[in-house]
Amino acid sequence: MKKLALLCFALVAAVAVSACGTKSENVTPVREEFSVALDWYANPDHAGFFVAQDRGYFEDAGLDVSLDSPTDPSLPIKLVAAGKADLAISYEPEVLLARQQGLDVVSVATVVGVPLTSMIWLKESKIRNVAGLKGKTISTAGIPYQDAYLRTILERAGLSESDVKKVGVGQGLLPSIVSGRAQATLGPLWNIEGVDLKLSGQNPVINPVDQLGVPTYSELVLVANGSRVAEDPESIELFLKALERGTREAVAMPNMATETVIAANKALDRKTTAAQMRVTLPLLAQNNGEKPFGYMDTTRWQKFIDWAVEKDVLTAPQRAVDVLSNALLPTGRIDPG
Amino acid sequence: MNQRNARRPAAVTSWVLPALFLMLLLGVWQLAASTGFLADRLGLEEFLVPAPVEIAEVLWKDRSLIADNAWVTLIEVVVGFLIALVLGLATATLLHLSDLLRRASYPLVVASQTIPIIVIAPVLVVWFGYGIGPKLAVVALICFFPITVNTLDGLQSVDRDKVKMMRTLWASRRQVFTRVEVPTALPYAFSGAKIAVAVAVIGAIFGEWAGADRGLGYLMLQDNAQLMTARLFASVFVLSAIAISLFALVAVLERRLLRWR
Repeated sequence: MKKLALLCFALVAAVAVSACGTKSENVTPVREEFSVALDWYANPDHAGFFVAQDRGYFEDAGLDVSLDSPTDPSLPIKLVAAGKADLAISYEPEVLLARQQGLDVVSVATVVGVPLTSMIWLKESKIRNVAGLKGKTISTAGIPYQDAYLRTILERAGLSESDVKKVGVGQGLLPSIVSGRAQATLGPLWNIEGVDLKLSGQNPVINPVDQLGVPTYSELVLVANGSRVAEDPESIELFLKALERGTREAVAMPNMATETVIAANKALDRKTTAAQMRVTLPLLAQNNGEKPFGYMDTTRWQKFIDWAVEKDVLTAPQRAVDVLSNALLPTGRIDPG
Repeated sequence: MNQRNARRPAAVTSWVLPALFLMLLLGVWQLAASTGFLADRLGLEEFLVPAPVEIAEVLWKDRSLIADNAWVTLIEVVVGFLIALVLGLATATLLHLSDLLRRASYPLVVASQTIPIIVIAPVLVVWFGYGIGPKLAVVALICFFPITVNTLDGLQSVDRDKVKMMRTLWASRRQVFTRVEVPTALPYAFSGAKIAVAVAVIGAIFGEWAGADRGLGYLMLQDNAQLMTARLFASVFVLSAIAISLFALVAVLERRLLRWR
């Protein structure tokens, strides 16, 4: 009995001593948990995010970042407004709509500062321009502000909405034109689905909406909770700094960027992703000149807001200065090389 | 028969109790919403889960928009269900009458249930276009299984002694079918029909999400994208009301027909 007690005491003592030892040697830093709700599954648009995570830049900034992908692209901004996510990738028009509904959200950085949404038809449809869409079927994702894009595009070509047959297909945009059920589609992104179509030999004619009369806007922005930006912005600032590092690295090394995104989403095809990455990286670099990474131009945002009010996307005017904040941006800028 | 009538609750009380319970639930929900319990404790902000009063307001304000779209979806549900009813009853009869056919195709009938609608709806849209066709196909597909399986079970459950008795009276196969098997199977068929009608609305919505320019599913998609959550919930309520009404209709028909039996 005595021997057993002595053994136990020795064991406990040994553990205690070794614990003391580890305490002074291996201190694991406490990292702040930080969740980002992406707009979709990992794709080249998110190159900066995944490279930053892969290279440990978020960890260096003291953040334990999780990049989550919902299947409903309108969910991320709701998560941020409800305080369930720290940042969300959303779309400039959606930020405006959310604020109109009373959600306390603010755009804190640009991810892609130009429109990616496009109107696409196939060469075999023999359509030469927008005017040639008269009487044809156009498929959309069923998103009301994109219906406003369509109205604007048609008006510029002298047509009205009643001159075309519009059908909402949710996520079936590409099948609708490939099958011939629709002669044109509005909604695919030219840097993702557009490249996809080209590579599959479909001969698409791709028109980004800002080339067809829609005022320019930022397709992808990072959105944060308004009160959070006012009261506790530090972690967001740290995140954006790390994101800039990751984006800079991705722009400099496209192959590495492709590999990183593919590792994050095994369902992606390598050849297609590499082609998409080539056209996407210059967008992520955001040639801002003297402006910081992620800069948002208030004048340009106001122009888009005014267009949205005119087209009944928004029921009341908003001020761009309320909608966005450049205060959390890192001061560096990226050299696209 | 008279005993059953005596024990059946009066028609008035049979809907009063559920209605009261529903109002109680709505009241609790409204209280939770307006006192901020939902938002503060459960993190369910207004734009995620609107209060019942808000939903009612939107339902009234946009009643013609919702009604127009509800009508479109209702047609898809009813016609799709009827298609499934005809096909289902026919299939069940065939599988009952032919041993060989039943053994060969019953697993396939089960498999028809496992096709994820979310995969098949877009395929149907590409085949049939954006008209009502694919929606009817999806609704029929979703309704087919419960109707067929339940009816078949009913036909197969016939008391063998009764059939023997009919045979001793020189009854023909057709008479055995119509006098014994069909009446036995009728309650089962109605069971299947009630289940089918309740899930038919889901099929209509998925069909619309794959390609539509009208309907409650189409409206819900738009409202979700615009963060108009109150109207989204209002559409859900209307959908449920449609399902419940159709269910009640089938139940009433069941009572009438079975009483006559």
